[in-house]
Amino acid sequence: METLKLYLDGILVALQGVPMTVGVSLVAVLIGVILGLFVALMKMSKYKVLNIPAKLYVEIIRGTPMLVQALILAYGLPQLVQSLGGSFKWPYLLIPAMIVCGLNSAAYVAEIIRSGLQAVDKGQMEAARSLGMTHGMAMKLVIIPQAFKIVLPAFGNEFVTLIKETSVLSYVGVREILRRGTLYNAATFNTFQAYIGVAIVYMMLTIPLSKLVGLLEKKMSAGSVKKKRKNAALPPEFSGTMERGEVS
Amino acid sequence: MIEVKNLKKNFGTLEVLKDITETIHDGEVICVIGPSGSGKSTFLRCLNMLEEHTGGEVIIDGEVLSSKNVNEIRKQMGMVFQSFNLFPHMTVLKNITVAPVKVSGISEQEAQKTAMQLLKRVGLEEKAEAYPEELSGGQKQRVAIARALAMNPRYMLFDEPTSALDPEMVGEVLEVMKGLAHSGMTLIIVTHEMGFANEVADRVLFMDEGYIVEQGTPTEIFNHPKEERTKAFLSKVL
Repeated sequence: METLKLYLDGILVALQGVPMTVGVSLVAVLIGVILGLFVALMKMSKYKVLNIPAKLYVEIIRGTPMLVQALILAYGLPQLVQSLGGSFKWPYLLIPAMIVCGLNSAAYVAEIIRSGLQAVDKGQMEAARSLGMTHGMAMKLVIIPQAFKIVLPAFGNEFVTLIKETSVLSYVGVREILRRGTLYNAATFNTFQAYIGVAIVYMMLTIPLSKLVGLLEKKMSAGSVKKKRKNAALPPEFSGTMERGEVS
Repeated sequence: MIEVKNLKKNFGTLEVLKDITETIHDGEVICVIGPSGSGKSTFLRCLNMLEEHTGGEVIIDGEVLSSKNVNEIRKQMGMVFQSFNLFPHMTVLKNITVAPVKVSGISEQEAQKTAMQLLKRVGLEEKAEAYPEELSGGQKQRVAIARALAMNPRYMLFDEPTSALDPEMVGEVLEVMKGLAHSGMTLIIVTHEMGFANEVADRVLFMDEGYIVEQGTPTEIFNHPKEERTKAFLSKVL
């Protein structure tokens, strides 16, 4: 009984970090999607002034561990400013934490969006342009909405990944799930129970979310047709031809 | 009036259009025929700059087509594609109204009214709220024609509009196009439908290997072709 309680304590302690982990992940994925869209568009631009910085950004972010980025931003940057005679301190370490996760997510989301944009049939752009739309208008009205639909499940997966990735923020003092477990371990030396609790709590988040993404994927590939079926001229099996959600 | 002067188009080292000079007058119905790879589609796509030509010039109503005025000129030139290219995330109605509203700044109600008239013209009023994936190929192409007409263009370009259709759906699309031809609109149609070309065209252009080899009335081209290449092509397709 006593040992069982130790495990339960481990889980309960880790659970206290859930709002922080989920909150940081949500903010990060939001930054990621918005910034990622711009990075993707810049990367696909034919102008070097736009595509080179975007490529560099993606390379740097994807080429370095998020932990290192977090340490540089949270601790390195204030120290640099101080050594230059300025004074700068993050009021909350949560701020650089969110920025790092957001910047990180943006680089990955940019790649997801780029593949989605390229998956849209090129005839769509031609049709839009032939109607007199500018390139920007065609992107906004025709290409991006279709690409968005294609990549929506991939965004879901990115969110699941991000939830796990935010565990590195425990190294910069953000009291998320892993940090709670680490502190619990330090106080009690119930090492195994502490980290098993952390693992279980992560699974409690990621498994239902993955299932949800899978469900979303299924729903999207079934298409928007069903509710409009009363107007349809074709037999129902025709609606199954649109396979969405695969991103190469 | 569309004037094409010494038009050339290369894809890398491949010369697709070698030297095309042609004038298309208002109200003319032109059918462009020729073997695959002869440059018919490329010629058509150069007229609204979906392909950027590499030599010569295209002059639309006195204005030299360039990247500066291309969006303005495209409003005057509707285009219908082989693969329809309807916007799958919009209803039929929205497909037709999006450009008039966003490009020309016409009010949503006005655009919808025009769209319904156009849908009636192509016989698809009851499909206004349907999505493209619910339509047959022939219906999609008729919607695509309505979408192009909604911009009230002076010219319509058709790029093999019936080539992707099942045989039983070709007729309904050609029927709509015939209606346009009789309405006095300027049409330029790349097609493999020789019977249709014979029936509606004012002029037929026969293209081969990047040149307009021969041109004339349907009777001249189909019944009394002069050039050997025209004869050879027609003997295969007729």
